[in-house]
Amino acid sequence: MSFTEQNISLWGEDIPWLSGLRQKGRQAFTHCGWPTAKNEAWKYTAFSPEKLHNPQIIHENRHCSADCHCRHNHSPFPFKVYTVEFCNGQLHDENFADDLPQGITIKSLAEAIYDGEAQKYLGKSFAMENFPFAALNTAYIEQGVMILVEKNHQLDAPLYVHYHVHDEADCFCNIRNLIILESNASATIIEHYEADKNAAYFTNAVNEIFLNNSANLQHYTWQNEALEAHHVALNSVQLRTDSSYNSFILQNECATSRHESFINLQQRGAAAEVNGVYRLQNNGVSDITTNIRHLAESTYSNQLVKGVVNGQAKGVFQGQIHIAPDAINTEGHQLHRALLLSNSAEIDCKPELEIFADDVQCSHGATCGDLDPEQMFYMQTRGIDENTARQLLITAHLQEVIEKIPQQNIKDWFLQLI
Amino acid sequence: MLTPILEVKNLSARAGDKEIIKNFSLTINEGEIHALMGPNGAGKSTLAHVLAGKPNYEITSGSIKFLGRDLQQMKPEERATAGLFLSMQYPVAIPGVSTANFLKHAVNAKRKYNQQKELDAAEFLKLLRTESAALNIPAEMLKREINVGFSGGEKKRLEILQMRLLQPALAILDEADSGLDIDALRIVAEGINRLHNEHNALLIITHHLDLLNQITPDFVHIYYNGHIVRTGDKKLAEELEENGYKNFVENE
Ligand SMILES: Nc1ncnc2c1ncn2[C@@H]1O[C@H](COP(=O)(O)OP(=O)(O)O)[C@@H](O)[C@H]1O
Ligand SMILES: [Mg+2]
Repeated sequence: MSFTEQNISLWGEDIPWLSGLRQKGRQAFTHCGWPTAKNEAWKYTAFSPEKLHNPQIIHENRHCSADCHCRHNHSPFPFKVYTVEFCNGQLHDENFADDLPQGITIKSLAEAIYDGEAQKYLGKSFAMENFPFAALNTAYIEQGVMILVEKNHQLDAPLYVHYHVHDEADCFCNIRNLIILESNASATIIEHYEADKNAAYFTNAVNEIFLNNSANLQHYTWQNEALEAHHVALNSVQLRTDSSYNSFILQNECATSRHESFINLQQRGAAAEVNGVYRLQNNGVSDITTNIRHLAESTYSNQLVKGVVNGQAKGVFQGQIHIAPDAINTEGHQLHRALLLSNSAEIDCKPELEIFADDVQCSHGATCGDLDPEQMFYMQTRGIDENTARQLLITAHLQEVIEKIPQQNIKDWFLQLI
Repeated sequence: MLTPILEVKNLSARAGDKEIIKNFSLTINEGEIHALMGPNGAGKSTLAHVLAGKPNYEITSGSIKFLGRDLQQMKPEERATAGLFLSMQYPVAIPGVSTANFLKHAVNAKRKYNQQKELDAAEFLKLLRTESAALNIPAEMLKREINVGFSGGEKKRLEILQMRLLQPALAILDEADSGLDIDALRIVAEGINRLHNEHNALLIITHHLDLLNQITPDFVHIYYNGHIVRTGDKKLAEELEENGYKNFVENE
């Protein structure tokens, strides 16, 4: 029995548009199949179903006792956040959202679907045939939240979205969120994936993000899944006039981790900053893939991705910048720098620039190498042992990306994590 | 009785196929100041790097003892914590590592080796303030990434600051005076003189009499083609200043 033939009964099959959308997702996924090396967008990150241990959507909160911290608006941060909790892929929706400021709505995706609000957005930001896992995600749409910031409103503290998996080897966390910022609205979201114990579960998350004129979203992802877990996430973002999307991911090692950003700068003045850091030391695969589409004039994008790969692990960066014929006066920059610390580790880097407009400023660059022996020697001649010297250089390498985070408290948080 | 700090005997070393140090011998005792002078490309920096443990060089023969231990068996960081310091001719920039943080790691590595309690941030800052003020190093410079965008003179003062913080038994100063203006040279020379006492020693690699006028060497060695060709006292340096190397290198 194949993964998609599992007889999972989903709620809302009586809603025609929803069951139609799921059906389309199922068809698109069946049509694309599991991405193999032949699929250009996945050529470095083979992802076969055998790797997944028969994942199941868990409908009840297994192993999650009443005193589990995911029930108690737990936050690891030394600053105020609003919290949304998922446990084993299921939303804990009992107690969030009661202290939110005016103009901010957070509700379960189910509620947004029954309200009819979700219909306008769900599945509208990308074409499923290009994103096999997002198609799969669509086939199983159930869990997720809708976050809406109304016109001219600000979320005054970050929204912390915590995805927590207990010791559940077969768990399939299929998360679909809608994030909508109306004109001149702003918000900060910190997504955090983590597990109690090492387990081979599967996370497949899709965020559809809609930023209206002059809206601003700061989007942080702290991916700290279990070492044996598989993780695929897509951020599909649509930006209107003068809106901005600023993202950062800290990608820790798991069996396979793919973090993909599909960003459409649809209208004049839209800007995106897509930065990330990955660290691998065993035999995991870490993939950061971006596709930034400059579809209008005076749009801006910048990407800085840095990695450290050791052991037998593999780091992948694929960065596509597309500049449409009308998108004059645009700027698109991309830089990937990786440290390759072992002979059996691997880095694959694929920059792709498609420029159809004149009068654009574009740059891309990639470096891959070992730690600088002169720097190592200099430190050692000051008595700093080899291991500490390596750590200092690795931290320095990654720190440059984190330094770009505009919010001091969040920057400090990520700095102490590396 | 003289107590040796460094004893190099018949040392030869090469980089790849190129033999750079050839049958070099030198003993440095406690309290002594040695100056090593020689034309460009003679192999002075290579000698300094070999003593500090740089991996690119292969020692083909000879022995090096430092405080009675076989130096070749020690990693660069062990040599440093045991009391060998190299002020580099070309200090290395390390983007992303702040100078103060770097110095704290260095000081605490040495303290750990000496089984002293490591300094906390406040204690270290106090020490750093005192030492950097003496070398005219502004606090702002210590916040910057180490050697990144530093001028030649700033780099050299920072090397001397590190020497002062680490209080080595043997300081090898490879062109510590290059690129310094008159005032900076005086400050650096004072820093070196304040370190020197009867229990430690200096090996000063220089081209200029100016530095040796401020730090009086007990011995001046002329180094050419990988070894010492002549040893004398400070007068030898004065002679060099007058006539250049030609009298010393021609009969080689
Ligand atoms: N790692 C190396 N590989 C090849 N040649 C080297 C290396 N290090 C030094 N040399 C060469 O050895 C010679 C001596 O260099 P150096 O020790 O820097 O001289 P000095 O400091 O006396 O000016 C030079 O010709 C230099 O190019
Ligand atoms: Mg030199």
